[in-house]
Amino acid sequence: MIITNNLSKRYGDQTALENLNLNIKEGDIYCLLGANGAGKTTTINLLLGFIEPSSGSAFINQLSVHENLKATKRFLAYIPENLMLYPSLSAMENLEYFSGIAGKKLSSQQLKDFLEEAGLQSEAFQKRISNFSKGMRQKVGIAIALAKDAKVLLLDEPTSGLDPKASNEFGLLLQKLRTKGVATLMATHDLFRAKEVATHIGIMKDGQLKQQFVTKDLSLQQLEEAYLNTMKYKELAS
Amino acid sequence: MIAKTFLKETKELLRDGRVRIAVAIVFLLLGAATWISARQYKNVNEQYVAAKKAERSIWDNQGEKNPHSAAHYGTYAFKPKYPLSLLDQGVDKYAGTSIFLEAHKRNEAQFSAATDQTGLARFGDLTPDFVLLFIIPLLIILLGYNSFTKEREMGTLTLLKSQGFSSWKWMLGKWMALFLPILLMATALFLVAGVVLSNLKDFGVFNWGSLFAMYLVFVVYYGIFINIVLLISARTKKSGISLVVSLCVWIIACLGAPKAASNIAESKHPYPTRQEFAANVLKDKKEGLDGHNPWSKEAKLLEQEVLLEYGVDSLHQLPFNFDAYRMQKGEEHEAEVYFKHYNYLKDQYSNQSKVYKSLAAISPYLPTRFLSMSIAHTDYSTHWDFADAAEEYRIATQKFLNGNFAENSEYGNWGYRAEAGFWKNLPAFDYNPPELNSTLARNSSNLWLMGIWLITSFGLLFLSTKTI
Repeated sequence: MIITNNLSKRYGDQTALENLNLNIKEGDIYCLLGANGAGKTTTINLLLGFIEPSSGSAFINQLSVHENLKATKRFLAYIPENLMLYPSLSAMENLEYFSGIAGKKLSSQQLKDFLEEAGLQSEAFQKRISNFSKGMRQKVGIAIALAKDAKVLLLDEPTSGLDPKASNEFGLLLQKLRTKGVATLMATHDLFRAKEVATHIGIMKDGQLKQQFVTKDLSLQQLEEAYLNTMKYKELAS
Repeated sequence: MIAKTFLKETKELLRDGRVRIAVAIVFLLLGAATWISARQYKNVNEQYVAAKKAERSIWDNQGEKNPHSAAHYGTYAFKPKYPLSLLDQGVDKYAGTSIFLEAHKRNEAQFSAATDQTGLARFGDLTPDFVLLFIIPLLIILLGYNSFTKEREMGTLTLLKSQGFSSWKWMLGKWMALFLPILLMATALFLVAGVVLSNLKDFGVFNWGSLFAMYLVFVVYYGIFINIVLLISARTKKSGISLVVSLCVWIIACLGAPKAASNIAESKHPYPTRQEFAANVLKDKKEGLDGHNPWSKEAKLLEQEVLLEYGVDSLHQLPFNFDAYRMQKGEEHEAEVYFKHYNYLKDQYSNQSKVYKSLAAISPYLPTRFLSMSIAHTDYSTHWDFADAAEEYRIATQKFLNGNFAENSEYGNWGYRAEAGFWKNLPAFDYNPPELNSTLARNSSNLWLMGIWLITSFGLLFLSTKTI
């Protein structure tokens, strides 16, 4: 579902991403770990088509992102670190609007069903987003993805700032989507959550994918060590 | 998507307390301004009807009198207040409401409303045109300055882009959401004005076509402002910057450009001072026939020509009173002098208008104002038209009076008196302002300018949202 071939992005002399090769299949949850500036967000922005690659290519559902910008958007949903919705509109209204933008015409009952599936309490459906916590906003974001029937989910630090309960609920939602065949790429700092939800984990540094694992093949401790070793290398070198 | 964005934006506007307050204030101002103007309109027109009737009665009841004495006694041409002045008072306040019509002299309009007011009038009046031309564009800025910037600031733009949105449809939805409340407001005002005016049956010169034309002019004006405000919002990154830039544009377009145009026009094409004008007229008058002076070179020349034409030796042998004939010839010369000098003033006015039009490139306010005043018959062109009609009437009146004097008396008989019923034979002064079609034709350049503004600003908005 998500393929990148030697995907690179440079800003002048600065390399933000270098020869990234990924192949994320249906039902995979791929977590990109790395410090700030490692190239995680750049990867997501390239897959969203927000920025042009310097070289290489990216494919969503076998369509080249930069040649079929509009078409690839049909298959993907995106949840940024701070999902911002319209504060004066309710959860239902936000969902209806963003689904409408994606070309979906949903009944009131369908909207409610998606919000419920995303784990939002029914009392909150008609409340304005201005009263929502970050966790509740993320649930509306998931509902938007569900309503869109997205095949690909791009998540940029979605659990950052969430309390453990909300973070756990979010992880469960991802698992649910996984069973539906959604391919997920999630950028995160959270090793624990990555180990919990991911099927695959990649560690990035300085725009390069340094290591990749199948999650079930390693323990949390091993993951932590691998991560720290990758990060330490930079400190030693400097 | 257009409809969804329109609904979303409308909901956001309706739920924003600041917007509700601003719209309520504008409605209040419009209501108060319309009420004040309607009262003023009714009062002025009642005075107009009464003054016209009284003046005509004085004219008709002069009794037996020498026609030339009646010509010096004079009468008045009154300018009515036109129905759409309720919405745009234009230059009416400064232009004068009546012209004294007398022998030998073309007078200017006098008794302007401004001269009846104290210095406090410099603070300005609350009129519908003030709200329509200045306040509603401000409201547009208030409603629309953050239309695009808020999407960037809130972060919703990223989510929208990831949903695969069509930027021009999105823009159109926002445009419509901003346009609709303004359209409703303008429609409500013009409907109320139409109902008020059509019920004032005594002053039955109101026509819905003109009101509709004026309404369309303002709708286009607001469309242009909406394009500009949205364009600024689309091109700037922060709402604060967008607000400041929009306000600067408003200041330049609505306040700066008209005042600058006025200064530039006056310095490039100045009007002569009143003293210069009077001196020039007097000089030209002296170079021709003075109807009251039988001994002048021109009068003697006229005498010779008339004697030769009628083949007689003496003025007493003429079949008419040569004194009255000379008086009429003198009038004709004076009328030509006034025609020449007033035409110069008109040329200067026309040149000044061209300066205004050239500045319309930086301000949609200017063509809007000119069109609005013109449709309302409160512009200088209509005033000139009225003054010309009054002058034509004055010339015709002098001819009518001198004709009676010449035909009914003999040379040297200054004691002749026309009978008391004679005065009623003079037709009443009746001025009809230009029809809507001719007003629009006269303002075709302003219509073009507004069209160019509308299309260009929308085109730029369209292009800039494509790159969002």
